[in-house]
Amino acid sequence: MSLRSIRSIPSSNLTKLMTRRILTRGSCIACCVLISSLSAGQDLLPPETSIATTIDHYVDARLQEENVEAAPSIDDAAFLRRLSLDLNGRIPTRQELNNFLAMDTATRRQDAIEAFLSQVDFVFHQANEIDLLLLARIREDREWREFLLQAVKDRTSWSNLFTQIMLPEVTHPGETAPGAYLRERVRELDDLTNDTAVLFFGVNISCAKCHDHPLVPDWEQDHYFGMASFFKRTYQTKSKLLAEHFTGDVKFTNVVGEEKQAAFMFLNGQAAEEPKIELSDEKRKNLDEAIQKAKKEDDAKAPEVEFSPREELVRLALEGDSHDFFARNIVNRIWARLIGRGLVTPLDQMHSDNPPSHPALLDWLTRDLKQHDYDLKRLIAGIVGSEVYARSCRWESESAVPEPSLFAVGVVRPLNPRQLALSLQIASTSGDRLPGLDKGEDWEKQRADLENRAARFANQFPIPEDGFQVGTDEALFFSNSQQFEGEFLRTSDDRLVGELKKIEDSVELIQTLVSTVYSRSAQEEEQQAMRTYLESATDDASREDKIQQLVWALLASPEFRFNH
Amino acid sequence: MNSTLKFERTGDWSCQDILFSMVRLDDAERFAIGSSDFKIYEIDFSAEKPERQEFVGEGHTSYVTSMVVANEMVVSGSYDGHLVWWNLSDRQQVRRQQAHDRWIRRVAATPDGTRIVSVADDMQCKVWDAVSGDLISSFTDHPELTPHHYPSMLYALAISADGQLIATGDRVGHVAIWDAERFEKVGEVEAPGMYTWDPKARRHSIGGIRSLAFSPDATKLAVGGIGKIGNIDHLGGPSRLEIFNWADQSEPVLIEDDQKKGLIEQIHWQPDSNAIVAAGGDHKGFINLYDLASAKLSAQSETNGHIHALASDASYALFHTAGHNRMNRFKLSLNE
Amino acid sequence: MPRSTANSNRAQHCGAEAHHLSRRSFLGTVGMGTAGVAANMGVIETLTSPVFADELKRNQKSVVLLWLAGGASQLETWDPKPGVETGGPYSAIQTDISGVRISELMPKMSQRLSQHTAIIRSLNTKIADHGGGYQLMDTGRRPEPGVDFPHLGAMIAHELAQQDSKVPDHIEMYTSTEGRRKGTAGFLPARYNPMFLTDSMMPENISRLDSISDADHKQRADFRAMLAQQFNHGLNSPSVSSHNSAFERVRGLMSSDYLFDVEKEPQSMRDHYGPTQFGEQCLIARRLVEAGVPFVKVARAWWDSHGQNFETHRELCADLDHVMSALLDDLQQRGLLDTTLVITLGEFGRTPRINGSLGRDHFASAWSCSLSGCGIKPGTVYGKTDDLGNTVVEGEANAGNLFATIFTALGIDPEKEYMLGSRPVPMADFHCPPIAEVLS
Repeated sequence: MSLRSIRSIPSSNLTKLMTRRILTRGSCIACCVLISSLSAGQDLLPPETSIATTIDHYVDARLQEENVEAAPSIDDAAFLRRLSLDLNGRIPTRQELNNFLAMDTATRRQDAIEAFLSQVDFVFHQANEIDLLLLARIREDREWREFLLQAVKDRTSWSNLFTQIMLPEVTHPGETAPGAYLRERVRELDDLTNDTAVLFFGVNISCAKCHDHPLVPDWEQDHYFGMASFFKRTYQTKSKLLAEHFTGDVKFTNVVGEEKQAAFMFLNGQAAEEPKIELSDEKRKNLDEAIQKAKKEDDAKAPEVEFSPREELVRLALEGDSHDFFARNIVNRIWARLIGRGLVTPLDQMHSDNPPSHPALLDWLTRDLKQHDYDLKRLIAGIVGSEVYARSCRWESESAVPEPSLFAVGVVRPLNPRQLALSLQIASTSGDRLPGLDKGEDWEKQRADLENRAARFANQFPIPEDGFQVGTDEALFFSNSQQFEGEFLRTSDDRLVGELKKIEDSVELIQTLVSTVYSRSAQEEEQQAMRTYLESATDDASREDKIQQLVWALLASPEFRFNH
Repeated sequence: MNSTLKFERTGDWSCQDILFSMVRLDDAERFAIGSSDFKIYEIDFSAEKPERQEFVGEGHTSYVTSMVVANEMVVSGSYDGHLVWWNLSDRQQVRRQQAHDRWIRRVAATPDGTRIVSVADDMQCKVWDAVSGDLISSFTDHPELTPHHYPSMLYALAISADGQLIATGDRVGHVAIWDAERFEKVGEVEAPGMYTWDPKARRHSIGGIRSLAFSPDATKLAVGGIGKIGNIDHLGGPSRLEIFNWADQSEPVLIEDDQKKGLIEQIHWQPDSNAIVAAGGDHKGFINLYDLASAKLSAQSETNGHIHALASDASYALFHTAGHNRMNRFKLSLNE
Repeated sequence: MPRSTANSNRAQHCGAEAHHLSRRSFLGTVGMGTAGVAANMGVIETLTSPVFADELKRNQKSVVLLWLAGGASQLETWDPKPGVETGGPYSAIQTDISGVRISELMPKMSQRLSQHTAIIRSLNTKIADHGGGYQLMDTGRRPEPGVDFPHLGAMIAHELAQQDSKVPDHIEMYTSTEGRRKGTAGFLPARYNPMFLTDSMMPENISRLDSISDADHKQRADFRAMLAQQFNHGLNSPSVSSHNSAFERVRGLMSSDYLFDVEKEPQSMRDHYGPTQFGEQCLIARRLVEAGVPFVKVARAWWDSHGQNFETHRELCADLDHVMSALLDDLQQRGLLDTTLVITLGEFGRTPRINGSLGRDHFASAWSCSLSGCGIKPGTVYGKTDDLGNTVVEGEANAGNLFATIFTALGIDPEKEYMLGSRPVPMADFHCPPIAEVLS
């Protein structure tokens, strides 16, 4: 049964079908699990161990080996903020913080995790993160985002989502939304090839285009052009749908000048065979014409082809084997997003000469992901439940800062544009306008509104890359823009400044301010400093100004700007 | 498209150079062609394999953009700013003179053959004695700079069939009509649609009026160029024809065609004034027939090279074209 | 300039020679990776010796990059070939250098070459797409996975900017939307990212809002700085440090807003540069350089004449010729040309072959650029192309050579290395010596 004949099947069942296909083709997932569990010659912890426990086990093991003591855990309020940013894509509301602090101390962290995972915020944030990975750095596409939102809502597995993104014309015939990833890159074969290798498989093979990679024996020209072959025949129709030619191969010249034709070869060296199909000249001509028509005319449909290289790519990628590029990549990326640094780093250099910092851990998490049908939500829930996740970013000891790959200290991470925009909204809104942990029905709409407002704002900020540095543009924007002042420092009742100006007691005012913006209680020293600042006001008008200025100072500070 | 008439491409000759100009030398198929190799050639398309015969002399030092026949001579103009006279009989150069400070775009001859008129990017229209080569007059109504402060071009020139009027057309869409005796301006029309200035994406301009032709009775003036272009890196805009009753200020008849994009480089009126044949192109070439009663494009054909030059025969049914790496013959006939 | 065998191998491959680095440093497995990059930022700052810094303070040097976005035709500017099938209709004119002719479209510059300018006619950079060409010509080397190379402006700013400078270090003006790309600091500190001016020549958000007094603006900023300092304790995060640096510079930047106000110039000076937008922007560039800004890029977009190449270059060359002449004359008059390097450069040149729309297409095999002013020997023409302009026949140079030349002209050692973790990254790419013939 080819994928072509299953277009009417809901995508959530697609993975089951893919599994069946894989099994009927004789590749056995169970066998592959066995193979990968033997990696690095280690026995892995049993599969029924919790993710959190496993993480802590392997990280602590290495810490002990290196005789390094980890930084302590952050306190509960700080944990809530970090968790909220990572699951909800925003800082917690003041009510959420208060509710949280009123809960049973023994279980409240786990309770918060469960609460956040069940909220619509998680859906928005997870969709945002996938978008950031695959498209948003290049372009905004509303339709595509809607598609991602629905996928996350449906708890679509990563393998299933990958299939939909790679084969939109099969899984969503006639719909343009899922094709956005391919469409953005379809005009440049190199982009399509390399981006896919980087984003879905964790390997940057672009260097191998010109010659076998000089330092990485894994990557040869055959690999680069092998990957390119899967995409060579893809084109876009006039109606913005994706399709494939019936012919087209990648030829390349190697370093000694020989011309070679690339095979449809995946990164693990497995290749797909194209069945020999004889096409009469007439048939060929008709197909060519139909394709040209599809490219030029809105209503013309692309002709179907017998052999689909992209389908072969999906099949080869999802077949379990000891390399597991697909699974390992997403595990590594999710880990890096939450912990601040990958188990393999850089994220696109997953090859045998760049081993993970914790090979067994990566193997175990990969196995776990595959055994649970590539359920990212489960993986995320597991990671945030670990001690490693909750580690402080401060190194207060006198000994040298430990090597980052030990995960002894937390990593400070900049907020991405949407997180920042949403958090600015939340931080500058009057506390009674935003709910606590118990959200109610209206929250979905309220959250969607916040998301839309944030989207408009998010364009002002660059998307952080590795080694992110804040530029003066941003500092000037915070300091002098009409937009910033108008959005976040307004004195109306619905805004924080409006709420604060009604509080007569300075101490109460400061506590409200700090808990709203920083999601914690104010410390002694800063209380003093803020009081002094506030009380330097000469009259009511001036006091309002001082309040605005304090709100500004907190919003413009690094404590707000970063996830720590 | 009204399909009473159609074009048939009956001749197709490729060449290595770009041909910018072409004049008919006899009633059969002998022509002179002006080339990007700076030379002028005679060529006979009735031959099995038409071969070129070079015109001999010092000639030009840049593209030969335009030519006319007057008094048994070919007069050619070029980017080198010179006008050159050549004997038709022996293809020998007779005279060569500096005519303009900048690149000559078009030359024309009065119907009585006594005068040569030229336009160039010095924005001047100059009138010459066709026999002696003496300058008779130099005049302009075209500013040297475009409204955006860049150097302008004076591309187009036409003389009415009775020799009474001259029309000149420039880059920014301004056309001046002149009394051909007194060299005074007697009218003007504006076709700013021919000029695209992109302030935002690419910050320069493209287009311009490229061709002008009076109707046989001289009451109308056809103006040819290109319509609005989105991406001005290319000639990706509709061909644009505007037909003015130039003496009054009425709205012109406007015909734009998107099927074959590009500049209209040449305009020929049919003698009954009911139709126009125009040719030009973008990276390819088109030849268009416009029906003026319905104000529509009624027939069209194409060729692989941008058409720069067009010549019709006495019947106005057989057209020769020359352009980018290509020469063609088109026959206009009833569509059966 | 003879090229070694090593270099000629590079010509075929994606810079295999440039993978001249240790395995460990490339792979980042020394435990450095990106955190390692960041942690070593301090190292970069101290590479400039105090003595060197003093010298620079005495003679602040600057670069004005006139970026001919889209790829200007060398055949219609610096390396004309009239009379051949690829030459086009324009002729060449004699310059004030004996035996040297440039396009008739650049008459003003033709009379200034012997005073100010060196032309390089032999660039062979191979990358002929806008994005790749921009990347190559603005970083001086091919891109590499996992490494974020800094752009020219950031490198120049890093080398030439004074630490406590009140004026911006790196300004880029790109008003047109086509091909608009922003140079970045890459792995250098974010301080060297450009102030990027697009719709308006006045930087965004550089003026205090009316709703807050100057005293309050300052007081608020100081309070923020105090909070930031408290927060920073024990963190070791270069990202967080960059946040503070950015805010620290705000007031200084605000006080340089007058530099961008062209109305502060007398009308005669504005007339001198002419009425075009490019002219105005170059006038602003002069103001900035005069105030000590080390790097200003003015992009004149968009030269990508796939159709109507000759008409388009008629317009754009008139602009370039006039404005470049005005800028060089102005800089010289003010005694600034000795310390200012003016560069004309684009992503690539244009094909000798003329296409069916009388256009020229992308061409990176034999094209030109120019260097004027600081450290340059004027009146030189380096390199030769063949009769039709299809290939370089003498003095082939690549992006790395050009960058080495630029750095040397400014008194910066092109082989000086940034340390990316334990990986050395030289300022100009490996094995790319400067072009001595154009250096004074």
